[in-house]
Parts: sequence; structure tokens; C-alpha cells
Amino acid sequence: MSKSKKWYSLDLGFNRKKESSGSCGCGKTSGGCQSHEKEMSDEAYLEAAVTASIGEEVKKDGFEQVFDVKMDRRTAFKKLTASLLIGAGAVSTSCSVVSGDDTKEKAQIDWEEQFKGNYKLMTDNEKSATVERLMRSYELRTGKNISMTSENAKEDVLFGYAFNISKCQGYMDCVNACIEENNQDRNSEMQYIRIHEMKDGKGLKFDESDDNYYHEVPAEGHFYMGTQCFHCDNPPCVEVCPVQATWREDDGLVVIDYDWCVGCRYCMAACPYDGRRFNWSKPEVPEKEINKNQHYLGNRMRKKGVMEKCTFCVQRSRKGQNPACVEACPTGARIFGNLLDPNSTIRWVLENKKVFRLKEDLGTEPKFWYFMD
Amino acid sequence: MNRKQYVYILVYTCLFALFACKQENGEYHNLNDKIESESKNYHGTSLSSETYIGDVKTIKITEGVHTFLIPERKSQIQSFECIECHTKPIDELKSNDAKKKAHWDISLAHADGEVMNCITCHNGEDMNNLNTLTGVNVDFNSSYKLCSQCHSSQFEDWKGGAHGKRIGGWAPPRASFTCVNCHNPHDPSFKSRWPSRYNTKESEESDGGVEH
Amino acid sequence: MRRLQVLKSLVFDSLDTITKGSRRYNLWMGFLTFVMLVGMYCYSIQLEHGLSVTGMSDRVSWGLYISNFTFLVGVAAAAVMLVMPTYVLHDIDFKQAVLIGEGLAVAALIMCLAFVVADMGGPSVLWHMIPGIGVFNFPNSMLTWDVIVLNGYLFLNISIPFYILFRHYQGKESKSKVYVPGAILSVFWAVAIHLVTAFLYQGLQARPFWNNALLGPRFLASAFAAGPALIILVLAIIRRFTEFKIEDKTIKKIAMVVTVAAQINLIMLVSELFKEFYAPTHHSESAYYLFFGLHGKNALLPWIWTAIPLNVLATVMLTFHKLRNNLNVLYFCCFILFIAIWIEKGFGLIVPGFIPGPYGKIEEYMPTGVEIGVTLGIWALGAFVFTILAKTAIGIELGHLRYKKK
Repeated sequence: MSKSKKWYSLDLGFNRKKESSGSCGCGKTSGGCQSHEKEMSDEAYLEAAVTASIGEEVKKDGFEQVFDVKMDRRTAFKKLTASLLIGAGAVSTSCSVVSGDDTKEKAQIDWEEQFKGNYKLMTDNEKSATVERLMRSYELRTGKNISMTSENAKEDVLFGYAFNISKCQGYMDCVNACIEENNQDRNSEMQYIRIHEMKDGKGLKFDESDDNYYHEVPAEGHFYMGTQCFHCDNPPCVEVCPVQATWREDDGLVVIDYDWCVGCRYCMAACPYDGRRFNWSKPEVPEKEINKNQHYLGNRMRKKGVMEKCTFCVQRSRKGQNPACVEACPTGARIFGNLLDPNSTIRWVLENKKVFRLKEDLGTEPKFWYFMD
Repeated sequence: MNRKQYVYILVYTCLFALFACKQENGEYHNLNDKIESESKNYHGTSLSSETYIGDVKTIKITEGVHTFLIPERKSQIQSFECIECHTKPIDELKSNDAKKKAHWDISLAHADGEVMNCITCHNGEDMNNLNTLTGVNVDFNSSYKLCSQCHSSQFEDWKGGAHGKRIGGWAPPRASFTCVNCHNPHDPSFKSRWPSRYNTKESEESDGGVEH
Repeated sequence: MRRLQVLKSLVFDSLDTITKGSRRYNLWMGFLTFVMLVGMYCYSIQLEHGLSVTGMSDRVSWGLYISNFTFLVGVAAAAVMLVMPTYVLHDIDFKQAVLIGEGLAVAALIMCLAFVVADMGGPSVLWHMIPGIGVFNFPNSMLTWDVIVLNGYLFLNISIPFYILFRHYQGKESKSKVYVPGAILSVFWAVAIHLVTAFLYQGLQARPFWNNALLGPRFLASAFAAGPALIILVLAIIRRFTEFKIEDKTIKKIAMVVTVAAQINLIMLVSELFKEFYAPTHHSESAYYLFFGLHGKNALLPWIWTAIPLNVLATVMLTFHKLRNNLNVLYFCCFILFIAIWIEKGFGLIVPGFIPGPYGKIEEYMPTGVEIGVTLGIWALGAFVFTILAKTAIGIELGHLRYKKK
């Protein structure tokens, strides 16, 4: 792991032992070895605490086993106390005598995940390390593999989206595709996209529209308008987040670090477009329906009590693919592309069609335009 | 309480306010300015959507200033070449003693019967080809040229990318469906159907649209 | 070293005081403990199942917790209305009341913090908010400002009375040179906590109901009405059940503060109503929902139509000197004013901000049993903290608690 971290991270020493498998010395099967390992880790832990409090010269094998970053005594101790309070559960599991190797590895991963930093501030190495941990954790828990990436924003890319309100027929294929692609909670039937059925001749009267219709579509005398996160260029949700758990990436995507979010829902109150969703209970997706092609900022599994939202399918768009909703739309009402590429189709739409955005007067600069034929 | 203390408080308040002043991080006045100025130095991306086009065989076309890929058509037609059967008159093919029947049930639901019939597009003399209104042969791969004769505004939008659908991804090279990939030329309109989803949770919570 | 000894003795003495008391006192504390336990049980349910056990939803994403938080910030800020005359203007009248007021502020702030924590989706990662360890989005997020001012105010309101009581405990007079700067700072700070809390809502362009310039000043006015009203009620109780002497003069002076604040609050309410209903725009829908209901949805009507008459009645009655100077009438007025502002500043402010939603959808909010349980638990916690603080403070001020050299 990188030495140039902006926060501390803890390593209880299990990983190190694995690398030097001979160090255990007891020569038994892994099951018999555990009590020994437990002692070692406890010792290391105690030593660290003692060293930190007494202020002796930092010993390499003791202190460094616990903290893989050098820091001065005061910060170390401060952080140790803070983490002890919260991480007591993780420690007790990781030091338990009865637990097997897998359990310990799991506990180690949980520990590191609990105390990792904000993804926004991570270096590339740290990003891939957390992604590795999450994949391993999933494997340990379910016995199945997922593929998760931490691809960064590409140079010279700024994503934009256009929606043709004359073309949308209200089939809602996009909604289904989005739910499947992004592993959204099936219990609460969360959906990022809403299709509003509007009456012709009344303008954009959202309050008179219906976003949960169930009849043959397109209905006579109606048109359809989809909303989702508009990935504002000046996003109010990002401003208000007290912990910078949500931010705008260089390619314009407004993303959330689900592990850093504290769940205060201030961003939800700040969003003028109903673009954000909260996990009021533990989100659940049946194992066989899980999309295993994931991105850290995108469709990886969420937990309860955190925000989530449309990411323009970051796991797809950063690879050059279209978001799932664009791909699923049977009418071609959804157009996605790179705003910085003068030859892109999205640019052609913006320059040649009569486009508008919702609530432009708020100054949020959404990167989501509507147009008509 | 003396004057000195007041001064201290004032100075600290000012310092605090100064430090707290919101930093303007955007150097652009609005999004359009940003797009305009940042795309001036556009060098292209390393991304390509070529792999996502998959097995679809494409051909490159150039219409006006636009050059892009569309799916190749002829190899997708089951019983090409057409003249293998279409040497006989249609009536004879339709009759019961014809052994092989390919698309005998086609009926035309495209424009008015007085405006359009089979030979508006198909070349009756050379069934392997289509023809324009003026009788010029058009290859099946370029069928969009026929559509564009009437649907000129849609054709403009399609060329630019506002009409129709991309294959693969957003990244270059651009590959778009051609007209007949989405519209059945004999029955081009989209059919009404039921939405593919109904949110039961939401219907419990609110009862949808309301009248004023 | 000597100071440490005094401190140790103070802690033991106060522990002794708060654990002993009359039958009534024990019953009261027992009752509070029971309510707190119920609240903790409810919170454990919430921790296990997530916030889905509350009445909140994607449409109304803040509810009872944040309503109470907002209201209590006001109560905390009100302590300043007593601090200023006492410490800055040297108006001796308030000296006894001010310690009670500051104790109330501490209790209210603790309740505020508890409500915020109860509202969090991930309380286990709250350390992300601690500057240094986590990432503190200062100055962009108003919530970080709120964290700073609330904790700062808590510190001020603990340290000033503590200093004074600590001196009195040793039988010494407190030095005004030490606490007056702090008292002056806390005057500014009190305005800041409430203004910043108002800015929390005021700065959201997504919610037109909150996004108006009057919100901040109205917060202050209503806070300076509801807070001192509560202080009057508390003083009345203390006067009745303890030997602590509080003169009529003091209560009447605080009543004056309540009256003026309530009058200003009422003027602002009229101004707000005028703006919303004289030339209603699309942005007035929340106000329509609050006062008249929208499309047959009218869950808030009983609340707001309780609050408004109570508010008007109390303000009018307080305005007449004769009525205000009758203590029983005054207590009644303070009680209904407190209730009215609790509804208006809590439910009446937070919930309609979300209704109708960004796309005009109306989904109503009703707190669930679990939510109410947690809320009551936190109020009990506040009352518990206040009782402890007040009992110790009164003990010291009456001279029952004194440091004895061993």
C-alpha cells in the first residue's frame, strides 16, 4: 500500500503472516495454528498501545504491524482511541480463537474497510486496494467472484445526455434495464429513472403528470418525459455534503462513495430534481440477478443508510459503452455522449435541435437536455 | 470590558469570515462556455466502442459531412438473392402450389394505399434491388436513401444523431442503426403496448397524477 | 494540584446531591430513566432495520428528528437573552436565572446532537465528520458550520457556568474579567447558532418554502420567544419545589423579552403569509399544503391550525400588562406559546418544505411509533441532564455545596 496516505489505516498483521507462511512455526494444519496467531496479534496490539503511550522508540515489528503508516505518537494514539471505540466489534471477531482463517481474513477486510479513507482523496493504488478487498470480501462471503474496477475519469471526456420527448413512448424498458444493471434494491423497488406521463397541451405540468402509470402506452393525448440524476455541472448536492462523500468527477459524473456517506440526507433535500435515493433499509438483490460487472462508484452492492443515485452507469460509460437506459430504449429517445468531442452526436443535438433543461433558473447547469423532433 | 476586547472580537470575526468565503471553483461562467473552451483542445479519447459493436457486420457510409457505420443488410436477409424466387409473377408465388413461401403474408401499412405500393420501393424489374421514386436502383444496404425521399427531416436528424440509436457505445467510431433496424418498412410505426414495469411500492404511497 | 482536588470534591459532592433527593425527585428521575430506556429500545430497532422503521421516505426525507433539532437549537440560543442583561449590562435581576438558562442551553444542545445522530443513516461512520480524521467539507456545507457553532456554543455554555459555580463552590466570587469575554462571545454565538441553522434550510434552492430571506430572522424571533418561555416555566417549577429564590421581578423581565419576541415573530408570520397568499406562485404550494391542504392531502392542517391560534392568543394576552403581570396567566401563555412554536418551527417548517416534491408529487409524512419513542427518549435525556445540572447549580448557589478542606 502506498506510503503517501492522507489518513491512517490499520493492518492487524494477518496479511503479513500469510506472506511469510513459515513464520507460524507450529507446523500444524491451519486450524491448529489459530490460537498461536491470535496471541501474536494480541501481543502486537498491546505492544503498540504501550509503545504509543510510553513513547519509546518505535519498534519496527510491533508498531508497524499495527500502523503501516508512520505517524507521530500523539496522532497515533488519538486515532487508536477513536478507532478502538468504533472498531471494538471488528477486533473481537478478528481475535476470536474459534474463528477460522477465512473469518479472520474477513475480519481483517472489514476492519480495513471500516477505517479506509474517502475514495475521492485516494491514490490509484489505494483505490485498487479497496476494490481488491471488496472483491475478496464478496468471494469469502458468497463463494462467488465479482469483477470490480476503479477506473478514473478519462481525459477529454465530459458526459452529456439528451432526451427526445417526442420519441419516448413510455414503455419503461429503460427503468427495468437500469434496475438490473445497477443492482438496485428489489424490496423497496427503488428506481433512479422516472417516466412522467404528461398531458398534451398543458406544458410541462409535473404535478399533473403520473410517473407510475399502468395502461397501454403511448396513451392518447399524452407525452412522456424521463427524469433521473442530471449530473449538474454546479451540483447543489455536492456543496452541502458535510463529509465530501459525493463529488463531481472530471468527466462530469456526480458520484457517491457509499462507504464514506454518513446518511444525513442533506443532499436529498438540496437536489431540485429528485435525483437521489436513500437506502431506508438493507438493499437486497437475489444472488442470481446480481450484475457482477461493477465499479466502485457505480453499481457495487450498497448497504443500508447510505445515499445512491444514477451514475450514467459509470461501470459502462468509462469503458466507452452507453448507459443501460440508452441501450435499452427501443425508440432511440435517449442520446448519450462526450460533450467535448465536436463530432459527437450529443454535440450535434445540442447545436441543431431546440434543447431545454429543467429548472434552468436555479443555476445548477444540468448536463441533461430535452429536445423535440 | 474595554475597547481592546471589542477590537479583538471584530478582527477575529473578519478573519473567520474571510477564511470562510466560498471559493469559486468554476472558471467558466456557464456550462456552454466550459464545453466550448474545453473542446477547443480536444484530442480524442483512447476509448473505442468497436468491441461493443460485436458481430454486427457494418458498412461505412458518408452523407453530407457525416461519416459513420451502419449495419450491413443484405447478408441478414434470409433468402437473398430475391431473384431466386422472384422470376415468376407475384400472383403465382402467392398461389398454393408454390412450394417455398418466404414472406407471403406481408401487408403494407405504410402511408396511404394511393400513395404507396410495393413498387414505390422495390424494383419490379430487378428484385435484387430497390429503386427510388425516379427509378434509380438503390442497394438493399442503402435502403435509408429511399426513406429519406419523404422523411427528410428525420433523415437530417438521423445523420446528425438526434434520430435513431447507436450500436455499441458512445465512443467513436460511431455506428448507428439504419431505418429498417428499428422500423419495419412495411409497417413502420411503433406499436402501443403495456409498460414493462409497474412500481407496486410507489402506488401504495401515492396515487399518481392529481387533477387541479 | 489544589484545583484538581477541588474538582474531585465537586464531582463527588454533586454526585452525592443528584443521587439524593425527595420522593418526588426520585420518582421524576425514575420516570425519565424509564422513558430513556424505551427510547433506547426504539433506537435499537431503528439501528437494526434502518430508517425504514420511521415515517420518512424518499419524498419527505427529514421528519420528526430534524424538526425537533431545529426547534431545540432555538431553545438553546435563547439562553443568550438572559446572559446579555446579566453579564454585559450588569442587570443583577437575572443573576439567578442565568445559570438555569445556561443549563437549559446545555441540555437543549445535547438533545440537538442526539437528534442529529438519531437521524443519521450510518451512525457508525460519524467519525468521517471529525476534522483531522475524516473529511470536513468546510466552508461549503452549512452542516459543517452547524457542527462548529453547536459544539462551540455547547463548550461556551458549559465552561462559563462551570467557572462561576466552581468559584462559588470554593466560596469565592467569580472574576468578571474571566467570564465576561466568554459571555460576550456567547451572545454573538447564540445568534450564530440559530442563523446558521436557518441557513441550513435557507440555502437550498431546491426547496422554495425554505429558500426565503425571512427564514433566518424568523428563526431568531421565534427562538427568543419559545426559549425564554420555557425558561419562565422552568423557573416557576424551581421556585415552587426548591428553596432557590427567584424574584417576581426576574420572571416579569423575562416575560417582557418573550412578549417582544412573540410580537416580532407574529409580524414576520403575517409578512410571510401575505407573500404566499396575496400573489401565490408555483412556489407557494408548500404553504398552501401547510395551511389548507393540497389535492385532498391535509395531514398538517390540525397541527398548524392548533399552532396559529395558540400563537396569536398567547401574543395578544402577553401584550396586555395586566394579564402578563398575573403570574398564572403568564405561565399559561408561556406554555401555549411554547407548544405553538414547537409545532410551527418543527413540523410546520420541515415537513412542508418537502411537499410537494421536486416534481410536484405529494406524499404525506406521519411519524411512526418507533420514531416517537426515540424522540420522547431524547427529550427525557434532555430533562434528565437539565435536572442534574440544575440540582447541582442550585445546591452550590444556595451554599449547600461547599468545598471543605480536609
